[in-house]
Amino acid sequence: MSDRGVPATTLGAPLVVAKPGSRRTTPAAWSSRRRHWPTGFPVQKRRSAAQKAPAARLLSRSSRTWMWAGVAAGLAFYVVFGIVPTVANLVVSFTNYSGFPGAPTSFVGLSNYELLFTSQEPGFVSSIEATVVFVVGVTVCQNVIGIALAHRLQKDSKTASVLRVLAFFPIVLGVTVVGIVWLLLFDPVSSPAEVVFGAFGVHSAFFGANNVAMVLVIIVQVWQNLGFTMAVYIGGLKTVPRSVYEAADLDGASAWQRLRSITWPMMAPSVSVNVLFAVVGSLTTYNLIYILTDGAFGTNTLGMFAFNTAFGSSADLGLGAAVTMALFVVAVVVAIPLAALLRARERRLGV
Amino acid sequence: MSNLLRARRLVTGLLIALIFLVPIVYVIMISLESPAQFGAHPMQPPFPPSVSNFPSAWQQGDLGPEIVNTAIYAVGAAGISTALSLLIAFPIARRLVRWSSSLYQWFVVGLALPVSYIPLFIEARYLGLYNNRLGYILLHVEPGLPLGVILLTAFVSSIPQELDEAAWLDGSSYPRYMWSFVVPLAWPSIVITFLYSLLFVWNDIIGPVVFLANPSLFPVARGVYSFYSSNESAYTLLAAAVIIVSAPVAVLFVVSQRQLLKATMGLR
Repeated sequence: MSDRGVPATTLGAPLVVAKPGSRRTTPAAWSSRRRHWPTGFPVQKRRSAAQKAPAARLLSRSSRTWMWAGVAAGLAFYVVFGIVPTVANLVVSFTNYSGFPGAPTSFVGLSNYELLFTSQEPGFVSSIEATVVFVVGVTVCQNVIGIALAHRLQKDSKTASVLRVLAFFPIVLGVTVVGIVWLLLFDPVSSPAEVVFGAFGVHSAFFGANNVAMVLVIIVQVWQNLGFTMAVYIGGLKTVPRSVYEAADLDGASAWQRLRSITWPMMAPSVSVNVLFAVVGSLTTYNLIYILTDGAFGTNTLGMFAFNTAFGSSADLGLGAAVTMALFVVAVVVAIPLAALLRARERRLGV
Repeated sequence: MSNLLRARRLVTGLLIALIFLVPIVYVIMISLESPAQFGAHPMQPPFPPSVSNFPSAWQQGDLGPEIVNTAIYAVGAAGISTALSLLIAFPIARRLVRWSSSLYQWFVVGLALPVSYIPLFIEARYLGLYNNRLGYILLHVEPGLPLGVILLTAFVSSIPQELDEAAWLDGSSYPRYMWSFVVPLAWPSIVITFLYSLLFVWNDIIGPVVFLANPSLFPVARGVYSFYSSNESAYTLLAAAVIIVSAPVAVLFVVSQRQLLKATMGLR
């Protein structure tokens, strides 16, 4: 244990007496302190020297063993089922592994990637296009509508709380149920959508029509996750103290000025969380698309494409792994600068 | 002005209600129509309502065993995942391990990891986790960990540290302290972590195809999807199946919605 900066004390001495006014992590301090989540470490970093003493020292040897055992067990799961598969994916992507027992597997170098980037695999380029449309569409719609919804439902009234619960419900229903519900709503033969659009003389195959399918898939994804986005934004709105608005009112600030100079900057951390979640979430999830269109009609995003190459009719696990790696690289390349950008924006807005 | 404002609020409120209610109400409505009623005038509320779709869907979709499978998988995986998240989050929040901060960052990165089905499939076969219940549970623990660790680290940090110091000075052991102090105090956040990791299992529709060969082991999400593939035009039956499957989750949600929403708002 590090003793640097800590007066030498023996075990059992009152080394961690809380002083009034000291920087201590208390619930009250916690709620009023700014947190930078999810990119920052939420625990107070600077503590006075007297409190730097590691509390672990108070634990008996056996207790410390227990603590380490717990951490080790959790890390084991994370490494075995999270890190190792990601690394292994890289290895598999250099092979022609087919997954059939007994089939010969050999290293093929970069040929899977060559296949992708020399566009001998026509699906790859179009799947990148589909991914961009999907991610941008979902992120923009989810956040714009999410803010509007949060603004309308932030009050503590009975109606608002009922509507909040209603908006949150689709997340709990899960992708299979949500997918089937929307397939029923937009059935080309007999559905409310058919009736409504039919009344205007418009007939479409909806989820079975090029161009239309992508728009609908985005709508369903947004509809399902809107409740989460909204809840995070409401949390952000609630952190703005009433008194700030009252002061602005006294100064005769217009509604626009209030939004621009108070609400918007104060909500910067919620925007970060929501944008990151929407981008990373829509990049990596494809369960919903699998149910709605199975990647047909211009909705073959990277995740969907990876699944279909690996487990579809051709069953080329090596090529599928290469696509998953491409997806991972895209996710990291997008997420890390985005997190930095959002963080910089938070700073600029003085949060 | 005030009247105008009130009217606007009413309209927007109704609009929100419609957006989220129409799909659900429609599915409930057609689930109560007999196939003949649906064929004749699908968009009219059924009078008299028929409930025959529910028993047929239950039998044809073999939903009973699948719901049991789902419950086993979801509770097992989410339970282990939540417990492990807490066991990692507590030392991180208290900085009991030296590299707490980087450990935390690793779990943030974990949020962006795509599920690598292919190596997991190979791993599952080597570790004997392929095509059995325990294996399916263990394979679904990891996806819940990153969010679980992040949520619980935040919540544990709000528990006053004086409490651990006092308890440890009194000689309380770590497992005992976790169980009788931390778990009760962090209970709301534990419920949220549990529910979010439960959602991973509940939403996984590709996992069953990759990790399970025997359809009798399928969870209900996959089962309903297969049911949909083979009964694509049996709208009323499908609607009933969807409602049966959603009922347990809906109950769970209604019971926990307060905490769930409150914790999500706390994410900011």
